[in-house]
Formats: sequence, C-alpha cells, structure tokens
Amino acid sequence: MIAKVCKESKLAQFFNKLLEEYDIIAPKKKKNLYEFSEVNDFREVALDYSTTILPPKKYLIPQKENLLRFVKGEITSEEPQLKKKQVIFGIHACDLNAFLLLDKVFMDKFPCPRYVKRRENLITIALTCINPSDTCFCESIGTGPTPSKGYDLLLTKINENYYLIESGSETGEKLIKLVEGKEASSKELEEKNKVIELTKQKFKRRIYVDNLPELIQKNLNHELWRLLGEVDLACGQCVLSCPTCYCFDVKDELNLSLDSGIRYKEWDACFLLEFAEVALGGNFRKDRSARVRQFMGHNLGWGGALQYDVFNGELKCVGCGRCIKTCPVGIDITEVAAVIKGEKSVSEVTAIKNILTNVGEKNARSI
Amino acid sequence: MQDPYELNECVIKKIRFETKDTNTYTLAFPNDLIIPEEEFKPGRFILLSIFGFGEAAFSLSSLIQNGTFETTIRKVGNFTQKLHSCKEGDKLYMRGPYGEGWPIDKAEGKDILLVAGGIGLAPLRPVILHIAKNRSKYGRLEILYGARTPNDMIFTSEFETWRKIPNSILRLTVDAVPRGVKWNYKIGVVPILFEDMETTPDNAIVMTCGPEIMMHFVVKGLIAKGFSEDQIYVSLERRMKCGIAQCGHCQVGKKYVCKDGPVFAYSEIKGLPDLTI
Repeated sequence: MIAKVCKESKLAQFFNKLLEEYDIIAPKKKKNLYEFSEVNDFREVALDYSTTILPPKKYLIPQKENLLRFVKGEITSEEPQLKKKQVIFGIHACDLNAFLLLDKVFMDKFPCPRYVKRRENLITIALTCINPSDTCFCESIGTGPTPSKGYDLLLTKINENYYLIESGSETGEKLIKLVEGKEASSKELEEKNKVIELTKQKFKRRIYVDNLPELIQKNLNHELWRLLGEVDLACGQCVLSCPTCYCFDVKDELNLSLDSGIRYKEWDACFLLEFAEVALGGNFRKDRSARVRQFMGHNLGWGGALQYDVFNGELKCVGCGRCIKTCPVGIDITEVAAVIKGEKSVSEVTAIKNILTNVGEKNARSI
Repeated sequence: MQDPYELNECVIKKIRFETKDTNTYTLAFPNDLIIPEEEFKPGRFILLSIFGFGEAAFSLSSLIQNGTFETTIRKVGNFTQKLHSCKEGDKLYMRGPYGEGWPIDKAEGKDILLVAGGIGLAPLRPVILHIAKNRSKYGRLEILYGARTPNDMIFTSEFETWRKIPNSILRLTVDAVPRGVKWNYKIGVVPILFEDMETTPDNAIVMTCGPEIMMHFVVKGLIAKGFSEDQIYVSLERRMKCGIAQCGHCQVGKKYVCKDGPVFAYSEIKGLPDLTI
C-alpha cells in the first residue's frame, strides 16, 4: 500500500489528469440531494455528500441491457460497447461493498460476460464517508464508513485542506503516482482513524448482525410481516434504490415484421405482484406481507453472501439507508431488525404506529 | 467467456398427443449433439425459446437417446400456446439442462416409490425409463399416479409397458370420472392410493411431483406412515428467467429452485417461506 497526502487543489489536478484518459462518474449535487453522474469538472464533484438518491449499481447492471440479437434466424450475443475506461470517483464504502456482493452473483459461478466487461472496465476511487445521513447504518454492519477492501484508491479528508490517498490495488499504485503530494506520515494515517471515529459517532441508526439471519428464519410467521403488509404500497422503490438488489426479468422485443429483435434483461422487484407468478395464475407471494418478508428476509436473512454460502455472517444489506429514505409509508429496515431481535415491540415500528393510530397518510414520510 | 444466455438450435422431430392440452415433443439437434449426454439427468430442466414469446422452463420427460430427448408440455399460457401451434420440423432454441435432478444414484439398491399428480408424471418418466434400463440396480418400483379425470392422464399408452417392468406396480386414481368414460381404478385424490401401497419406509426413496398442494398432502401422508423427511424428494415449480441463480424469480428463502433444485429432499426445504408443502 502506498499512501500520500495532498491539498484539495492537487486532488483537483489529479482529477483533471484522470479526465484526460477516463470517463468519470462522481457524486454531484442535485437541488438538495446528490446523484452519481458523469462529471467533466472537479468543481461539480460533491465530496462532502451524504448518500446519493440512487446507488451506482446502474453502472454495472444497467436498468435495461440487451442479451441477444435475433436477425432472420441468426442469433448473436450482445456485449456492451465500452470505448474508455471508467472511474467511479468518490464512492462510499456502502456502495463499494455492494459492488463486491454483486461480483459474487455475476462473476462467481456463471459469470455474465456483460457484467465482467463492465466491472473490469471500472476503476474505483473510494471516499471515506464523513457525512452520514440520518438513515445510514453501515457502521453497525461493518460496511462503512470507510472500506477495508475492493478499492483501487481510497481518499480520506483528514482536515480542512488535506486529503489522505491510499492505494488498494496495482491499478491504484499506478494511479497514485499521478498525485502531487508527499508520502503520508504515521501521524497522518492516525488522523484518518480519528476522522473515522468521529464519523462513527454521527450514526443514528444501527443493525447488529450477530444471529439476525437465523432469527429471521425462525420468525417467518411473526405478526410484524402481516402488519407491514397492511401498510406497504408494493411500489418497489426500496428494491430499485437498494445497491445490492439485483433481480431482473428477461423479455423479448421484436420488430414489426417479426423477423428480428432483441432479448433483453431489465430490473425487476420482488415487491411487485407479478414477480412470483407461475403457470395458470398461481402466485407464491400473492400477499404483500409475503413480499415485505421476502425483501427484508433476503437483505437480513437468507441473502448472506447471496445464497452461495448462506449465513456466513455477511448480510446482503450494506446499510446505505436508501430503502428507509425512499419508502413512502416509512417502513424502516432497522426497526424490522430490532423487532426480530426483540429490542423493539411491533407497535413501536414507525410505519405500523401510523396505521395503529389511524393517521397513516398524514404521518407518512415524503419521498 | 461463454455467455450463459447463448442458445442451441433444436428441431421438433415428433409431436405426440397426450391429452387435449398436453403434447410430448421429441427434440433433436440439427447439427451434432453439442450437449454431453450426461447433462440430461432425470429431473433436470431446459429453457426453451421462441423469439418474441420469450423463454420458459420445462422438465425433461425422457432420457436422451441417439441425440434426441423429450419434453412434455401442457398449454397453460402465452408461450405454451405458441409452442402448441408449432409443427414437426419447426426450429426451437434451448439452453440447459440445468438444476439438480432426482437422486437416482442414491436410490440404487432401494425400493422406489413415485407419486405423481397430473403433468407431474412428466419429470418422473425418465426415472421409470432409467430403472427399466438398469432394473437390477433397484428394488421394487411402485408408481402412484393421479389426475383430474382419466382423459387428463398422460403417457397412458405406456402404462402396459411400465406394468411389465419386473417387480413393479402402477396404481391409478382420478378425482372424477366423466359420464360415459370407463374407469376400473380408484376415485379420489392421490393420497387415497396409500391405502393399498406396498412400499414401506424401511429401505425406500420417494420421489413426488405434482401441484404443490398435492405434494403437501403426499408428504404429510407419507410421514404419518413412517417415512422420514430426507427419504422424500419433491420437485418444485417456479417461473425462471435465467436458470442460473441470478434473476431471483425462483428464490424460496435461501434456495434457488433453478440451481439448488428443482428437486429437493423435503428436509432441505421444510420451513422455508412461501411454500405450501
């Protein structure tokens, strides 16, 4: 590992050097919120951001992606056309850990050539989070506020003017040479730990992992699911805003003469009614309560390391808090975990309190 | 890197009419056999494609022989309706076979009890064919089969051949017999056949396939008769979009029907969410 320290102005210079060679995606301010977007100027980058509205997963698994092309009986595999290497600049630990989980799904057993191509084309420059939002809880899961692996470079703002830059891969070691700065001292590395400690104190929500997967499995008939099913709108926003939700549908699209077309995949959500349909109108998750349970169960229970090795302690949830922020009725995954662990009663859950006191709409969280 | 969505061409060699809504398709590869024979294990499934109508999962209803195999398909929706309009000689696309099949190796030396409901007999037919081919390796074969009416039974033309497999028995039942139809067997849902069943739990493996609610009562009935949860294997039905444990559609708790199944020991899936078994 190589570590350097530089002023923000030098970081800007480094950014400009990267721009000459790569496409850069970075957090950008959008009104009072943030989004990942292509950036052409360092001044557009919001390095003090909390969480972006949507996760950066679309850069690895686009919302819609062609799989096959069919032209008059000839079928060819479709691959993404990538001209330049991409850099994701300023990705937080939660989203970076989400990439590592997605890697397990799309690169382990049956590697998807499209995903692999995008992933290998992506350079990750991570950023230690110093500004968690009130819905964040990565710290309790161990997926933030700073990443421990999976980055090429890691930036940490260690005081008003200086950034610590650490390499985490061979690519990172090459890139760090472009940074004009001095080698980091042990004191400066210590500064980073102070920043992390200070950030940790800012978190308002938590989920302690310990035996949560087993408890979810044991509580499949908990009354919590029934009550959440009554509040839930089945809008699927939590799934779309989740950095690790990867489920998709596969569809065909033909031209009018029916002799050519494409087969594509498209994001899908377990919260939607049609998701679990089978033949003859059967549906094994017809009730909303079952669909709430599936989303929560996959994130906190059986999604550990995405089924390939269940219950190894790693949750599918990375604690970004987007599902809480986006839920129109205030369903909060940390409260779900608290109820399952017996730390909270069902009637204390915000979304349920809303229906119990019959003021659901009035108290509902805005999107 | 091979694209998991890559398709293989296959041709409909023969279509056999089973019931008013179910056909058995013999499929062949127009070129040389590109998929190794050992991939076609009883209980595994393939994804068939018709461009514009998508893909759907179907179980193998025969073993592979001279580069051809069979799949038995009931008309239940958009895709299968289109498939039923296909003719012999038409070209289809497929990928697979995928999944974990019936435990035919583990079943060696044991009595085999097959319990099927309706089209659920289709994925069990390769087991019957495998046992007939390797008769000395297995104990008694007992097949319990039920359908809605005698007209809904599939593979009826093969029943006599199956009855002639040494040390085997075929027991039949239907939910109802329409007026004018001759029926010499039982009337009632599948578990009614347990009354005469000869297979005992001592040294047996059970394989069951049919509607989930039928399998629920089959499992319950067998456990009451002393069969253990890991002796009973079920085959689950879920709609699959990828077949390789990525799209999430067939997820049942921690299991993926496409990768971990479709065949599971009952003990493996007991207690998972969203199941009626």
